[in-house]
Amino acid sequence: MTNHFIDFKNADVILVMGSNPASNHPVSMKWILKAMEERGAKLIVVDPRFTQTAAKANVYAPMRSGTDIPFLGGMIKYILDNNLYFREYVVKYTNASVLVNPDFKGPGELNGLFSGYDEKTRKYDKKTWSFQMDENGIPKKDPTLKDPHCVYQLLKKHYSRYTIDKVSSITGTPKEKLEEVYKLYASTGKPNRVGTELYAMGWTQHTIGTQNIRTMTIIQLLLGNMGMAGGGINALRGESNVQGSTDQGLLFNTLTGYLATPSGSLVDLKSYIEKYTPKTKEPKSVNWWSNRAKYITSYLKAIYGGRATKDNDFGYAWLPKLDEGMNASWLNLFDQMLKGKFEGFFAWGQNPACSSANSNKTRQALAKLKWMVNVNLFDNETGSFWKGPGMNPKDVQTEVFLLPCASSVEKEGSLANSGRWVQWRYKAIDPIGQSKPDADIANELYYRVKTLYQKEGGKFPAPILNLTWNYGQKDALGKIHEVNVHNVAKEINGYYLEDVYDKTATPPKLLGKKGELCATFVHLQADGTTSCGNWIYCQSYTQKEGKIINMMARRGKGDPTGLGLYPEWSWAWPVNRRIIYNRASVDPDGKPWDPKRAVIKWDAVKEDPVSKKPGMWVGDVPDGPAPPMATEKGKLPFIMMTNGVGGLFGPGLADGPFPEHYEALECPLEENMLSKQRINPTIKLFGDKADAFFSCDMRYPFVATTYRVSEHWQTGVMTRHEPWLLEMQPQMFVEMSEELAKEKSIQNGEKVMVKSGRGELWAIAIVTSRFKPFKIGGSTVHQVGLPWHFGWQYPVDGSGGDSANLLTPTVGDANTMIPESKAFMVNVVKVAGGRT
Amino acid sequence: MTLVEGVKKSFETKGMRLLLLLVTLGVVATFLRMFKGLGGMTNLTDDYPWGLWVAVDVFSGVALAAGGFAITAAVYIFNMKKYRPIARPAILTAFIGYSIVVIGLAIDIGKPFSAWHPIVMWNHRSVMFEVVWCITLYTTVLLFEFAPSFLERVKWDGALKVVKIIHYPLVIAGIVLSFLHQSSLGGFYLIAPAKLSHLWWTPNVPYMFYLSAIAAGLAMVTFEGIVSTRGLKREPETDIMIGLGRGTRIALLVYLVAKFADMTYRGNWQLLFAWDKASIFWSAEMLIGVILPILLLSVKSIKESENGLLTTSILVLFGVVFNRFNMTFFTQSTGVEGFYFPSIWEMFVTLGLLAAIVMLYRLAVMHLPVFHEGPLNR
Amino acid sequence: MTTTAQIAQKGVLVDLTRCIGCRGCQVACKSWNERSVKKTINRGEYTNPQKLNSDTYTRIEFLEGAFGQAPAWHFIKDQCMHCKDPACASACPVGAFKKLPNGPVTYDFDKCIGCRYCMIACPFQVPKYEWEKRIFPWVRKCTFCSDRIAENLIPACIKVCPTKTMFYGDRDAVVAEAQKRLADNPGKYVNHIYGKEEAGGTSWMYISSVPFEQLGFNMKIPAKNLPDNTWAMLREIPVKVVGFVTVLSLIAIFRNRGNGHNAESKHKEEN
Repeated sequence: MTNHFIDFKNADVILVMGSNPASNHPVSMKWILKAMEERGAKLIVVDPRFTQTAAKANVYAPMRSGTDIPFLGGMIKYILDNNLYFREYVVKYTNASVLVNPDFKGPGELNGLFSGYDEKTRKYDKKTWSFQMDENGIPKKDPTLKDPHCVYQLLKKHYSRYTIDKVSSITGTPKEKLEEVYKLYASTGKPNRVGTELYAMGWTQHTIGTQNIRTMTIIQLLLGNMGMAGGGINALRGESNVQGSTDQGLLFNTLTGYLATPSGSLVDLKSYIEKYTPKTKEPKSVNWWSNRAKYITSYLKAIYGGRATKDNDFGYAWLPKLDEGMNASWLNLFDQMLKGKFEGFFAWGQNPACSSANSNKTRQALAKLKWMVNVNLFDNETGSFWKGPGMNPKDVQTEVFLLPCASSVEKEGSLANSGRWVQWRYKAIDPIGQSKPDADIANELYYRVKTLYQKEGGKFPAPILNLTWNYGQKDALGKIHEVNVHNVAKEINGYYLEDVYDKTATPPKLLGKKGELCATFVHLQADGTTSCGNWIYCQSYTQKEGKIINMMARRGKGDPTGLGLYPEWSWAWPVNRRIIYNRASVDPDGKPWDPKRAVIKWDAVKEDPVSKKPGMWVGDVPDGPAPPMATEKGKLPFIMMTNGVGGLFGPGLADGPFPEHYEALECPLEENMLSKQRINPTIKLFGDKADAFFSCDMRYPFVATTYRVSEHWQTGVMTRHEPWLLEMQPQMFVEMSEELAKEKSIQNGEKVMVKSGRGELWAIAIVTSRFKPFKIGGSTVHQVGLPWHFGWQYPVDGSGGDSANLLTPTVGDANTMIPESKAFMVNVVKVAGGRT
Repeated sequence: MTLVEGVKKSFETKGMRLLLLLVTLGVVATFLRMFKGLGGMTNLTDDYPWGLWVAVDVFSGVALAAGGFAITAAVYIFNMKKYRPIARPAILTAFIGYSIVVIGLAIDIGKPFSAWHPIVMWNHRSVMFEVVWCITLYTTVLLFEFAPSFLERVKWDGALKVVKIIHYPLVIAGIVLSFLHQSSLGGFYLIAPAKLSHLWWTPNVPYMFYLSAIAAGLAMVTFEGIVSTRGLKREPETDIMIGLGRGTRIALLVYLVAKFADMTYRGNWQLLFAWDKASIFWSAEMLIGVILPILLLSVKSIKESENGLLTTSILVLFGVVFNRFNMTFFTQSTGVEGFYFPSIWEMFVTLGLLAAIVMLYRLAVMHLPVFHEGPLNR
Repeated sequence: MTTTAQIAQKGVLVDLTRCIGCRGCQVACKSWNERSVKKTINRGEYTNPQKLNSDTYTRIEFLEGAFGQAPAWHFIKDQCMHCKDPACASACPVGAFKKLPNGPVTYDFDKCIGCRYCMIACPFQVPKYEWEKRIFPWVRKCTFCSDRIAENLIPACIKVCPTKTMFYGDRDAVVAEAQKRLADNPGKYVNHIYGKEEAGGTSWMYISSVPFEQLGFNMKIPAKNLPDNTWAMLREIPVKVVGFVTVLSLIAIFRNRGNGHNAESKHKEEN
């Protein structure tokens, strides 16, 4: 999230689209209801199904799964046509005025494609997606927004195709509803009105998932809602610490702190830094990623410690590298696994046999392994895949190890919530039986692997043997028997390895003493004098005047701004900034656009404790301590963007600088109503039999989507074992409209079969008025929805059902490869003999 | 022949053996109830916590044993000498009936071993507390009213004298106690005006129960009088039966008038015309159990024939049992889906209790001086 | 007739417009009261178990329907209403149910005989029975967390609710809060506080944006204390006993004169 949960109470309009907070983040509803009650905020829910959140909404708009971009594109058109955008903000804080390469062409001209598409590689050459530069290398601008090549005009042209009739025809949302939503949300374009958007997997799990979010970002920039209290673009993460997991680099393509994983062609640290350090000539742009070298170096120093020196490139050679162009994301992993490319697999705190799109393919893939380690609280469909439905144990050669691990209440540590608050938690009870916390399991693994390398050698022992690994007390042989997570947290925060000085000051100012914990990532150095396991977490476990403070464990309840920032409760990254890009919430002179909800404001008189000069920001931690933009030393607010401004035109994505509507891989239509390009032109198409997909096919006539319920968690491994929860939601179900049920003669509560091109499963039919058929392009399209919380392994009598992912397709987002589990096609049929 | 030898000999008939079998089945079912709990062998649920046992063994049983106070009132208070011969049978019926009711209650409650609690734990606002006390006291009264039959047989003259002295106070106590608990059984439903259809519910429901109990008691004495006379091959007591028939008719008329007056005063007639399950059952109950017997008992050929009296008393008994059933089940079925039907084990217990009544009655009349012309020696 | 003291009685306002159906209350209650579960199936809705039972003291009922044009989904919390003058407490022959001065209607298993009259008496169908227990079957229902509120804690369901659906306080303050919400938000709520008068007033009360009968609330419960109905009959007993004994004795004496020795003393028997 750019903002945070409590901040929702500050909004005037809350748009819930691609998420269902009432069901899945119930505590967040507390703040949403507070906004509705205390400031008369309006809640809009856009969803194919009338959800528990919709039950509390002022406006509910139904929308076919997979058509978020047309819906929002129509809103962009509405905003631009009616001049409802916040002009000063748009001109000054976004790239609306920047001129684009005149050779750039959009889908309106190229039948659904952007310029530079290579059909063979299914990739774009982004040469034309560039900005026109002036002689100084600074992007050319037209502040009047009239130049036909300026971003604003290109944006307008692009979304002029998203007329309300077209949008209604694609989404199935009635026109009056569209207008109602547009009008209400666009009202937040005024400086003293703010709107926030809450999304989750309903937006991300599509082949155009990233672009879904981009569309909303454009809207939020146009309306001046970024950086504002009650605004921003807010992902409700799907798991209590998934924010933490991506922060700490568990995904294949990032090291910690969203530093990119290097590929093999980046042979040395210099090349890595060169590639990933953006450069800009824009004078007022902070371009914070220009500090990249400091972070990668400090990271290497953290994990390799004293062994990482200037001479050995700080151990860069020991970092694992990706092959050029290699994408080791989930779908590719299991595809390769099925092809026999993996000997072993750690299913660590996950249940791929149920969570994986196209679960049948995954289950078959697991059978190709020589060994698997299942680290989990319970045995599950993954660990027991070999005795699952359709499996013959005699044919499976996989050796499965189950390592029982501790639950979150059996260990101490931090969790990072969606709002980037990293809250420290304590151990309530000891782990039962032989189960261990994950850190301790990793620790054991490390020592055994290390010992093997030491004894037997191997192809490349250095990356393991050179790790510092100071995570606890070591015995005589150097082995840690119990991991001390505080040591881990401290390593993540980082240390001053020498006395570190700010050499730009005269005389040089001491920033930190040798051996002390780092105070902020601003102090990190590229010369190896600092270590930091994760630069965005620098300051989370720090030292002030010699005293060590676990910032994450703080529980101060003060809220000086009244906006719910609670700056002393726990710690948020980066550097405890609660609302990101908050310098966009003030005008160029540092005055808040909305004085009643001032996140920060410039106090020209107050003395800055660091510089000892008058003039400082009060309120939240400013996003960049630079003085107001209009002053001499002032900076643009979007400090992580190369050119300092919000990107309406975003050339960084694989599938286009403007979001464009493409239908899901499996959709009910033969053609995309907007262009000749039916599907996202850059998505990877898996071509095996197991990956078969069926679009506009009579055998699978209904749109399906997946979602969650409050009572179950992910694939239900933990929650199905909890009787109080299973009692409330005991069985797999499929929700469908009363009209569809009538057509198929399906009774409420009846067992039905749901089938897709990849698999099938039974589900109990919930016939409901909360799904209604859509009118798409003149025809009726039915949609159904399923939860994905169940698995054949438990309850042991199979009464719970199996995973909805048996149905989902092997295809992912063009940028992240997150599977498209939110829009695909199925059939629903009665089970012969009725309910069993 | 001693009493014990006589009792043993009585079981040589097929009928008694069948009854003994039913009683045994009932005992087995009772053991099952103890070992498996109520949930393990009944169809009682949270929606229907009161089932066959409460409706039959308790509510109907008490109503049908009302002959005890009705006849003792007629004979000892109003000095209607004509009915003297049936005083002892009526008391016997009542005594056995109430004893079986107490046993039935003990089987039904969830904690039978706590059955003594109401004696020391009091809630004076509870109608069930009052009913439990009344029934306990009345059963004791009946014990003493019946005692002479037994004491005469075993020739315990000293005790006999004592019992005879307290006879009149006992009768008065018995009548008062009967009034209290017969009407309070109706009072059970006062607490549920929102649940029970107002075809039955009225603040006057205690009086309705009392009046219908009188009719039921008289009908029961008629029924058991005619049946046992035929079964034991005794002289028919036609005169008495005709008199009972007259009494029954009067009791029914009073009940009918009271009911209609109450319905009118409360404006509940429109409930009848809803023609839903409640109004249909209520109509059946009134037509079959009240109006039809009244009409039949107005016809000379019927009211003066044994068969006619037998038939009408069966109708009245049906009507009262049906009424108790209706009130018990309609209170529970309001707003509830699904229905209740007793399990086979519940039926075994009830059948066993009913069989016990018949069996004990026959043993008593065969071996104790219940009929004043002395026991039969067969 | 009033029961125990009316002062400092606690009450709860359930504002049905705030409930989001997360069912945290249903689980928190089971956790605090150490209840178990019954085997359930999906009957075509989210509501489970279908009714309150001996393991489920509170549950959320999911009610949907196209009320008017727009679809709707309502979430209704169901639990004991803790009546001011409880029918169950008056019905129980051994006084196993008691209305405490501070609000909760509590159950004392040691007194209970298992007659289940409380289940017949309750107009809200609340008490449930442990049918499967052989030796010690309890009647089970929401306890208003009487053990918690005795220690100045709030009931478990209220503590865990994320959206403050329940407002807890002295009953008078709760009624005042309900009236305030109705007055401050014209058009938002139907003009009725369910439980203010029903059954003579209950500790748990509801306000709603949709007519209560559409949500399945029993609208037939009279606005008077239910035990008054029974008490009206019971309180006449002493008079009736005296009267009956007197009348019967007189008749007996009159009708039996000339019979010789008749024991017709006007014994007033204990009853």
